[in-house]
Amino acid sequence: MIGLSAELLIFVALMLLGYGFGSLIERRHRKSIIRRELELNRLPAIASRRPPEDRPYAQQLVSGSVVIGSDYFKTFLSGLINLFGGRVTPFESLIDRARREAILRLKEEARDIGASHVFNVKYETARIATGRVPALEVLAYGTALIPAADISRSTHDTSQA
Amino acid sequence: MLLSNLEFLPDRTIKSHLGLVQGSSVRSKHVGRDIGASLKSIFGGELKGYTELLHDSREEATERLLEQARSLGANAVINVRYSTSSIAAGAAEIFVYGSAVLLDE
Amino acid sequence: MVQYENRQPAEDINVTRTHPLKTFAIYALSALILVVLLAVLMQFFGGFIAKRVPFSVETRVTEAVGIELGSRDAPPELVSYLNELGLRLLPYIDMPEGMSVDIHYDKENVFNAFATLGGNLMFYRGLLSVLPHENALAMVMAHEIAHVLHRDPAASLGGGVATALVLAGLTGNAGTGPASGVLSRAGMVTGMQFTRRMEVAADEVAVAAVGGLYGHTEGAADLFLAIAAQRSAGSDETSDDSPGLFERFASTHPLDTDRIDAIKTSAKKYGLLTEGATTPLPDDFQRWLAAN
Repeated sequence: MIGLSAELLIFVALMLLGYGFGSLIERRHRKSIIRRELELNRLPAIASRRPPEDRPYAQQLVSGSVVIGSDYFKTFLSGLINLFGGRVTPFESLIDRARREAILRLKEEARDIGASHVFNVKYETARIATGRVPALEVLAYGTALIPAADISRSTHDTSQA
Repeated sequence: MLLSNLEFLPDRTIKSHLGLVQGSSVRSKHVGRDIGASLKSIFGGELKGYTELLHDSREEATERLLEQARSLGANAVINVRYSTSSIAAGAAEIFVYGSAVLLDE
Repeated sequence: MVQYENRQPAEDINVTRTHPLKTFAIYALSALILVVLLAVLMQFFGGFIAKRVPFSVETRVTEAVGIELGSRDAPPELVSYLNELGLRLLPYIDMPEGMSVDIHYDKENVFNAFATLGGNLMFYRGLLSVLPHENALAMVMAHEIAHVLHRDPAASLGGGVATALVLAGLTGNAGTGPASGVLSRAGMVTGMQFTRRMEVAADEVAVAAVGGLYGHTEGAADLFLAIAAQRSAGSDETSDDSPGLFERFASTHPLDTDRIDAIKTSAKKYGLLTEGATTPLPDDFQRWLAAN
């Protein structure tokens, strides 16, 4: 009987820890994502496969990736939701944060090499099988276009028009 | 060696296509990382160990792709794509493939 | 020339903005109700089916399985004494035609006695050695015979199997995460409520039988008193002076203190004397137990 009570206690503690730390980490991450997104919006990531031809660009493949794990509370709650089906809301924010973080890391890499755009951006999502830990990896990659500074913009603009 | 996931390069001409090249890397984490991750499973958040592991793995796969391309005498790989699959518990395969081409200098 | 820019889309389009605790409350409550309902339903259903199986079939199946109960070299005098006491109790327990009990003895020092399929009762040395007199032994024996009368071993098996099957299906759906473990635990605790009801019902029959046999219920509660004393002395690992609601809820047997009270109540209900002279155990009883 004492064994049962102890198990219950551990469970409640894990749920509280998971919820407390999980939502703290999530809140902080969301804040940081929004701040960095506003800053990096000046470096557009585009899904188009056709690069602009207004001027010559150097190209380089860039990527950003992140592995985000669920917390105990989210994992437990998703198991409950599985019984009834429907929207698994605890994982929505997890996946959203992972996707946005991956793009941010891609943009950060592009910014560091002096790119002006990233083209043909693709996402790749994988469930990471880590035993009991539900986690996912999101990879974002694309081709960074680095403007060649020595060629003047006007000459190419006319040819483009 | 130029690496791009675009299908063509606006200001360069492709002299010849040399075929499909690929790189792959299967890796798993060591026990220490696994213990760290299972602790993280209580609190949630980024699993940095895994992010690094997959990043290294992707670098290795890309390096193998480039090696294949070099062996074909190519100077660029275009239309590059990545794919990830978890093969077994704790092991992931990173696969990268693309078209090896010879560009005009 | 095409303009390329990244604008900031509105937040919370891909993320549902409900408070996680609210979602949790709704789903946890629904899941709990679902599991408890299913467990109750399956206990009833499984128990109902199992009890409809004729006792003769139960006996034959038990014999066919051929599990040997009790120690092979159990002292024959002890075994025949136990069976004889059982026969003396039977008239006071309304056992229907065709039902009988077979009593076995095991030399393990386990503090336990149980009734199992086919009317087989098992007594362990550990339990027998602490009995102060025959009245206490008769109480335990009548209690186990009552389980046979009520077809409790069959009902427990049927209900347990049905519950386990349904819970396995249910928790399998909840994945391998922590949720499935908690849910199956909740289902099992629900099942225990049934076991406990069986114990209470068996106690009531036993009190009537002991009262009928000896003319009074003196000493019937002595075994439980001994257990209660042992617990409060702290010799047991479950040495909890005031058991909480949770312990009460999650245990298969009623608490000893509750049982002692219930025995008094039943005695009053049947108009039995609560005081009288206790009958001693046979002179050789301790010698039989000591035999190796």
